[in-house]
Amino acid sequence: MIEVQALSKTYGEIPAVQNLSFKVNKGEVVGFLGPNGAGKTTTMKIITGFMAPTSGEVKVAGFDVFENPLEVKSRIGYLPETPPVYGDMRVEDYLFFAARLKKVPRDKVAVHVREAVEQTNLGDVRRRMIQNLSKGFRQRVGLAQALVSKPEVLILDEPTVGLDPRQMAEIRELIRNLRGQHTIVLSTHILPEVEASCQRVIIINQGQIVAEDSIDGLLKSQSASRRITLKVKRPGAYLLQELKGLQGVLSVVAEANEGQYRLEVDNRDETVEQIAQKVVAGHMGLLQLHVQALGLEDVFIHLITSEQGGAK
Amino acid sequence: MSGAFTIAAKDFRSLVNSPLFFLLAGVCCAIWSINFLNLLGDFAQRGMFGQEASIHFTVFLSHLSTVNIILLFAIPALTMKLLAEEKKMRTYDLLLTAPITATDIVLGKFLAGYGAALVLMTISFLYPLTTSLVSDFHFGPLLTSYFGLSLLLAIYVAVGLFSSSLTQSVMFSVILGVLFILSLWFLSQGINVSDRPLVQSVMEHVSLGEQFSGFIRGSLRISSVVFFVSTAVLFVFLTQRVVESSRWR
Repeated sequence: MIEVQALSKTYGEIPAVQNLSFKVNKGEVVGFLGPNGAGKTTTMKIITGFMAPTSGEVKVAGFDVFENPLEVKSRIGYLPETPPVYGDMRVEDYLFFAARLKKVPRDKVAVHVREAVEQTNLGDVRRRMIQNLSKGFRQRVGLAQALVSKPEVLILDEPTVGLDPRQMAEIRELIRNLRGQHTIVLSTHILPEVEASCQRVIIINQGQIVAEDSIDGLLKSQSASRRITLKVKRPGAYLLQELKGLQGVLSVVAEANEGQYRLEVDNRDETVEQIAQKVVAGHMGLLQLHVQALGLEDVFIHLITSEQGGAK
Repeated sequence: MSGAFTIAAKDFRSLVNSPLFFLLAGVCCAIWSINFLNLLGDFAQRGMFGQEASIHFTVFLSHLSTVNIILLFAIPALTMKLLAEEKKMRTYDLLLTAPITATDIVLGKFLAGYGAALVLMTISFLYPLTTSLVSDFHFGPLLTSYFGLSLLLAIYVAVGLFSSSLTQSVMFSVILGVLFILSLWFLSQGINVSDRPLVQSVMEHVSLGEQFSGFIRGSLRISSVVFFVSTAVLFVFLTQRVVESSRWR
């Protein structure tokens, strides 16, 4: 659905995006992940035809963004970082305006607006002035604007930024409901958001793609280690030494809490088994043994820091 | 093209419903009312002393020049928001990612601004119109003058729109707009720059005042109409280039 080929964009001398290539298939929900200033917004603005790249090409539904901008734009619903809403308009009037602007057929405008209002739960504020709405509602109006033309592709730039946790959950729920009806590209620097809504993740840092995979694949490929929290009743001084001596244990740290240890171990189940055996055999009174895979957050930080290290 | 009308309709509505427009219209009405009353008084006094005078040249012309001076400042204030505010409030993103061309955007904005300007002009036309209830005069020169004024306003709106496209700040946009319009008026001062007849005739041709004087005398010169329309088109075109170029920066 979206094909990005060797995309580069420089602002004056400063490169924002360098040689970016990726594909998004029809119906996919793809998370665009990266720290602030990584080039997420720039890439999205180029896909929507808002700005031109310095080099490279972008195709949406087979149309080149620069040769057929109108064809591409009519297939995209875009929610920028700041929702593009007019404060002096009422919610419904604004959506009618957006629908007409996006060339929704005349006889379908009213139906589309009603459906967008229902999808985003804006029924209660339909007749309110947008300037009097809270940020969360404005965000939803922005989202309704993106949905109103029933586009094949939805591009959402940090849709939950600046919202309170409950509003965030609502927006995420909304995006989950949109899955299957649209191809969605979603940018964010908030990890739970990706885990909640996306099937595939593209991690971008300093204008380049660092990783591109499904969430599970990313976790598997990147997490060669697991974390174990261990708690015993009668800790002995020798326990620390013995644990360190075990094969597959990468590091052991005694925590401030008496008898509690944090271990980093490899991926083999045998390692966990051995640790348990050691503790039980030493009659130390095993209280807790909690195995945890590394989360997306660890993977993300790992990827980004290693990339920066590599670049230097 | 339908995109242009969608934008025009929405922007015209938001322009004439804004407090700013009410304020402008109110101030215009107040100034014109006082001024027109004075002019009529003067005219009546002259009649009492038996002096011959044409109501067109004494009353309406002075009224027209006051209208022109006020609108010269009011119109940039009206058009300032058209593009500058879109950029500042980030609603520009919506326009630029909608399936419409830069030409649609600029034409829509121009029509909205021009519509609002014509509303102000219509208000100013009410003064001579009501005079016709108590006095007899030829409508011809009055109508051609107002036709000329409507063309002049198209230039003001186009220039105001252009200055609005150059900046994000509405303040700066007004100042730029007024400066541009004033410089258009002062262009005719260039007649004295050179003694060469060619330069003089060129400067005379680009002078707003010179072109406008024909309409005041009641004549419709095609060359003047073409001059006003093409000047307005030039600034609309420049605005279109600025909007289009925002994609490349």
